[in-house]
Amino acid sequence: MPTPSDENLMLSVRDGNLAAFEWIVLRHQAEAWRVAYRFTGDAAEAEDIAQESFLRILDAAPRYKPTATFRTYLFRVLNRLCIDHIRKKRPIFTDSLPQRTDTAPSAIQRLSDGERDAATQAALALLPTNQRMAVVLRYFESLSVAEIAEAMGTSVKAVEGLLARARERLESLLAGLMEDF
Amino acid sequence: MRCEDVTTRLDAYAAGELQPALAAKLAAHLDLCESCQQSLHRLKRLAAVLGQASVPPVPDGFAARIMAKARNRRVSVASAGWNPLRWWRLVPAPMHAAAAAVLVIGLAVGLLMSWTTLPAGQAAPGQATVQADPLAPYNVDYLTDAPDGSLAQTYLALVSTPAGEGK
Repeated sequence: MPTPSDENLMLSVRDGNLAAFEWIVLRHQAEAWRVAYRFTGDAAEAEDIAQESFLRILDAAPRYKPTATFRTYLFRVLNRLCIDHIRKKRPIFTDSLPQRTDTAPSAIQRLSDGERDAATQAALALLPTNQRMAVVLRYFESLSVAEIAEAMGTSVKAVEGLLARARERLESLLAGLMEDF
Repeated sequence: MRCEDVTTRLDAYAAGELQPALAAKLAAHLDLCESCQQSLHRLKRLAAVLGQASVPPVPDGFAARIMAKARNRRVSVASAGWNPLRWWRLVPAPMHAAAAAVLVIGLAVGLLMSWTTLPAGQAAPGQATVQADPLAPYNVDYLTDAPDGSLAQTYLALVSTPAGEGK
């Protein structure tokens, strides 16, 4: 029996089939979680956002039309909720951000995997929200520039600009880690 | 092609997403421009750094929690009762058009019928009678038309005897 496509499953969800929705959730929970986590850097917040994204999709299912791939649709919902989350969130001033990595090879070698992950996450957090989302979708979820534009509701040219500016900033922030490559 | 144009399109170029003609222009520029070559090199290194970063696994029971909330929402929607607006949204578009057509036709027929049966300023004869004597349909004045010699006539004669005649 062939595996049903996401779009066919969503058409079943539109007709009230909750089992089809469960299939969708199981299939996409990991990427929804990853995007929300990469964007917020916080597991609890990521769970809330990813969960709410699926529930919003369920609520909107009666009006679902398969005009785009489900994955792009999911990322569009995630993007809106992530941006809303940042707007509502008050800035937290903290001195616990990981230190910027030293460019000396000895310092790089001392970094554990966890520290590298933390440094990467801290660098992402310093990007403006739209640049951060573009980077997350591009470098962690491997979306094409056109798909990112659709998910973020903007133009291909705008996404190219966002990615170019984000690269410039990240190259500076992660210069130490880039020495290894 | 300017370096700025190349830099902004490096992501799409590196992933092979550009149109062949544009990709060829970019490649030609890269062959000659050392600065843009370095930009491309840095992009690949950055992609490698980001690609190595791990992310915590999906929390245990994440999907089950979503489904529990989904079922609760469905139950609350069902128990909220019949919602005409929601029902109307679920009805397909052709049905919307058909419903609108039926409504328009019904209104038109109703208007036409009222116009033909009730000309302006003229009431039906039956209505005039009813308005002149609202009790007529109930025949409450049957005694006045009672035939001679009938019990009713006799009763009326007795009742209407002038005062003093009986003394």
